[in-house]
Amino acid sequence: MQNESNIDPKIIEEILKFSKNVIEAPQLVAAPDEINLEVTPHEVVQKIDKTRLLHYKPIIETKHKTPLLISYALINRFHILDIHPQKSWVRNLLEQGFEVYMLDWGTPTSMDKYLDFDDYVNGYLDSSVEYIKNQSSTEKISLQGYCTGATIATAYAALHPESVKNYIATAPVIDGWKDTTVISNLAKHMDVDKMVDTIGNMPPEFMYYCFSVLKPFEQGIEKYIKFFKNIDDKKYVDNFLRVEKWLGDTPPIPGELFKQWIKDIYQKNLLIQNKMYVGEELIDLKKIDMPMLTQVAVGDHLVSPECSMPLHYAVGSVDKTLKIYPTGHVGMIASSLSQKKVLPEMGTWLSKRS
Amino acid sequence: MQSKSSKNLAESPKEMTEYYKHLSLFWTDIIHLMSSKPQALTSIGPMRSFATNSKKIAVELIEINESLVGFNQYITEYYKQLSNTWGIAQKKVNLKAPKIPQDVEQIEAMKRIWIDIFDNDFTELFDSKKFGENYGNLVSKELELTKHWNNISNVILQSVNLPSKEEIDEVYKEIHSLKKRVSKLELELKKEKRKNAK
Repeated sequence: MQNESNIDPKIIEEILKFSKNVIEAPQLVAAPDEINLEVTPHEVVQKIDKTRLLHYKPIIETKHKTPLLISYALINRFHILDIHPQKSWVRNLLEQGFEVYMLDWGTPTSMDKYLDFDDYVNGYLDSSVEYIKNQSSTEKISLQGYCTGATIATAYAALHPESVKNYIATAPVIDGWKDTTVISNLAKHMDVDKMVDTIGNMPPEFMYYCFSVLKPFEQGIEKYIKFFKNIDDKKYVDNFLRVEKWLGDTPPIPGELFKQWIKDIYQKNLLIQNKMYVGEELIDLKKIDMPMLTQVAVGDHLVSPECSMPLHYAVGSVDKTLKIYPTGHVGMIASSLSQKKVLPEMGTWLSKRS
Repeated sequence: MQSKSSKNLAESPKEMTEYYKHLSLFWTDIIHLMSSKPQALTSIGPMRSFATNSKKIAVELIEINESLVGFNQYITEYYKQLSNTWGIAQKKVNLKAPKIPQDVEQIEAMKRIWIDIFDNDFTELFDSKKFGENYGNLVSKELELTKHWNNISNVILQSVNLPSKEEIDEVYKEIHSLKKRVSKLELELKKEKRKNAK
């Protein structure tokens, strides 16, 4: 009885409030399936196989001549770059007067298991660049790659420098041996040949596993406690559900592409050594000679800064800038910091060269 | 043969598996040979194909056991690593956190300590070579099991005259190669047209 009287009544109050929030949650918030993640108006201007090239409708008059094409990552969908009107990477760039295109890689099926780096770099990405050049009557475009999308964009910039006026690499996956993340540890010990030969494409379940070992207690427990505690905060809940929906939407990665990515980047580390082939062509990073901006986040636990930064030093560009931000992998592209600092700085850099 | 097999049986689990594999193949082959002639006169349907291929299923089932032994070994090690890390992290939490939290602030502080210590210790585990190697082996064994299942499914598919996974893969490969050639030609043509238009 003595012990019971020592317990703060606020604890009981907190537990009751939390239980009430859990019970009332379905009435207060939308189900993730009911949320539309494609927030900024756009039209699909080209479709090749499962890929789509999106052209965003301008918000203000376009101020810069050179259009920007974003090559999104292979992991999850491009929606994180347009996750919420207030935190949209795309919308911010439109508001700065850029013409923005996005390459959506789509959802590969079993029959796409033979798609490789060559198809992505010299096929889908090159076709998109050609389309944009045709439409805008320009000889060169600005290219931005994010995460593994930056690995593809880097290969493209090295093989087709004549088509790229400016290159922005955001958290690029480049030097696999220097990567200090849990993901790289798993990748280094993976029998990727056996995986692809047996099941074809990289299954989404494997990607979920990789996500679940990243800060498992913060991300697996604390995050959801916070969600139910803040169930009345519409802005917080909306943002939370959008990011959660994005996290859960993991398409498979084509088998051959996944195999080459794991082997050439994480296991043999060929790209940074200028020994990686795409199709029959050798990737020489020195051939990237256009103005280049590299953006890395110190708190990135998916692609560590040590994995991204070597690109800045390996390229042949004379005009190159390295920006380091005090945030994480997603924080760099979909947060208040990205809106207040990362995007304005990128906009200033790009507008001077567009 | 009898005495040699019996001798092998006693030597190691691997040899025991080989012995049973041989035994199974011997009898399925003999029964198949003995029954094939009268059956061939009366049946060309799926059950006939299935009977013909059933020895492949027997082999796969025996080999699954071998992969299962490896899988069990790595999954045991996997959970051992997780539970050891849990135990060590919990001891660290016990040293830092009060036994019974008395107010909301103490609960919050305890939760924070628990999450930070557990996240740090588990990240250290997931980052370690021993975890990476064991996890790689575990996935590899799981894939071997999947491969056996695929092989069994292929036998069933063939028994109903449907293409096997390998045959479908061959078609996919051919389609991929053709599409690649066509799209490269299309792209080259577009580039040429643009050049000529200038």
